[in-house]
Amino acid sequence: MSSLTIALPKGSLYEESAAVLAAIGIGIPSDPGRRLTMTSTDGSAELLLLRPTDVPAYVEFGAADCGIVGKDTLWESERSVSEAVDLEFGACRLVVAARRADGFHEGARYPTFLRVATKFKRMATQYFSERDIPCEIIALHGSVELAPIVGLADVIVDLVATGSTLREHDMVVVDDIARSTARFVLNPVAYRSKYARLSALCDRLKRKQGV
Amino acid sequence: MRLPPGVRDWLPQEFAFKQSVEDRVAVVFDRWSYARILTPTFESYESLERGLGEKLMRQTFRFSDPLGEELALRTEMTTPIARVVSTRLRNASLPIRLSYIAPAYRYEEPQLGRMREFTQAGAELIGAAGADADAEALFMAIETLDAVGLSDAQFDINDSAIVDGALVTLRISAAAARSWKEAIAARNLVDLDCFALRDGVRTDHYALLRRLVVTRGTDEVLAIARELAPNPEAQAAIYRLERILARGAQLGFEERIAIDPALLRDLEYYTGFVFEGFLGDLGFSLCGGGRYDALLPRFGYDVPAVGWMVGVERILLALERRRIGERHSREVDVFVVGSDRVAMAERASGRRVRVDVRGLDRTAAIAYARHKAIPRVLIARGDDVEEILLEPDERAPL
Repeated sequence: MSSLTIALPKGSLYEESAAVLAAIGIGIPSDPGRRLTMTSTDGSAELLLLRPTDVPAYVEFGAADCGIVGKDTLWESERSVSEAVDLEFGACRLVVAARRADGFHEGARYPTFLRVATKFKRMATQYFSERDIPCEIIALHGSVELAPIVGLADVIVDLVATGSTLREHDMVVVDDIARSTARFVLNPVAYRSKYARLSALCDRLKRKQGV
Repeated sequence: MRLPPGVRDWLPQEFAFKQSVEDRVAVVFDRWSYARILTPTFESYESLERGLGEKLMRQTFRFSDPLGEELALRTEMTTPIARVVSTRLRNASLPIRLSYIAPAYRYEEPQLGRMREFTQAGAELIGAAGADADAEALFMAIETLDAVGLSDAQFDINDSAIVDGALVTLRISAAAARSWKEAIAARNLVDLDCFALRDGVRTDHYALLRRLVVTRGTDEVLAIARELAPNPEAQAAIYRLERILARGAQLGFEERIAIDPALLRDLEYYTGFVFEGFLGDLGFSLCGGGRYDALLPRFGYDVPAVGWMVGVERILLALERRRIGERHSREVDVFVVGSDRVAMAERASGRRVRVDVRGLDRTAAIAYARHKAIPRVLIARGDDVEEILLEPDERAPL
């Protein structure tokens, strides 16, 4: 029987992903070093260590049968994977935020043509178009909170976990857009061809969540 | 010169490989007595639009002719066939069996297994309702994949009436049903859990639905479906699926067909029975189809229909991954130097003939034939024809 291939995100979600898998008997090292692939200690699974944004593609094309990825990555990826279990770690919120001084959070009106800096182009576009707010999306790759400070944008759409980054830059949340947590995702075809093992895996993960 | 994204050239070896697969598919279509048909690559958008769901509409290449008529490239073949049947074949006796192997066009992000120009092979059985017609579409698809060398393909079948019945039991409003069905089709259990809370679904009912969505098989699925969807439409669908399974078992397909209650293909298109064929090692489905009783009525012809299609390029991808397939270059049987008459006679007797156009002498002609692995050389001088046979080991490997 061929073993399961699981795609794991390197970076902030890695440690908790490893812990969750270990808790259901798929032991993996807590620090992968620079490895790209490894085998679980019980030999039941091959692990692929990927950039978080690459996990959906590996799962969609079946290079991995399943994987762990943040919902925030799924928002932007447009990949068709099945979200099987909400793993509930890595929680964060996607928010509209602005400088406190601009007063948008207290009801000050947006400029007639809003400039929005974000790493989440799709979600931001959807949010503002649903509200009929004309805007220009400025796609950035990091340190989005800098944009309003230097006048590149009026507001930002970004993830907040604790809110400390916003406070440091004297910014406030204007509106909540969505909430993200880590998800256990499946390739829809692998779910059928390796049905017994994948559905058992989902059950174990689900039970661990105590849902 | 660069090609636009999503299209490709087929060089001789690649094209021969594609052609060999299409030939095998065509033989199956012929054995099932489905006549081949071809419709225009483009036609009026207004006509194609009748068969298009929201997603395909966004993926349609549209353009206008100099007089301003809006035209579109076909995104699939079923809609044009529905147009043909409801107009030009209106008086033909039913059921009608038609098949096609033809390119279709979709504007989408080109990626593995998804091109903007691709070849679909498929079959439509028009004017027949019921499980036996559904089974014909399914069995034909299985035999087609067998014929191209993918006899390990698995098939999932379903009928959307089961989920519809389940949602009635759960008292989901018609307005909310669409988002439920989308989440079920995507097997997004995280969303379903949220909807269940939001819509205040009875927990015992929801637990059953969740089991229905994650279970794949035969008896177990049917047992859950019977309990959760007691309405007559769902019960009739369960009976039809059982009948298809039983007929499949007689053909030795029992290990290859399962019921997947979450299989809801294109909700705007299919009206009941649906199926998909897939391989364990390919992340996307190879073929699929189902019953589309609502399509021909949109062309003013009120008849039921069932059909299926397979992506030819996806078959090629699967075969390449398994390294199945013979050498795909067409071989030359004979090399003729110095006589058009001899060459014509050779062609007439069914051989593949290559004619010298460079005035090669005897030594050069033999060397050329060796190099190209051509087994036979005919050299004409006046009426005298010399035949030289090259042994296989004399021929250079390619």
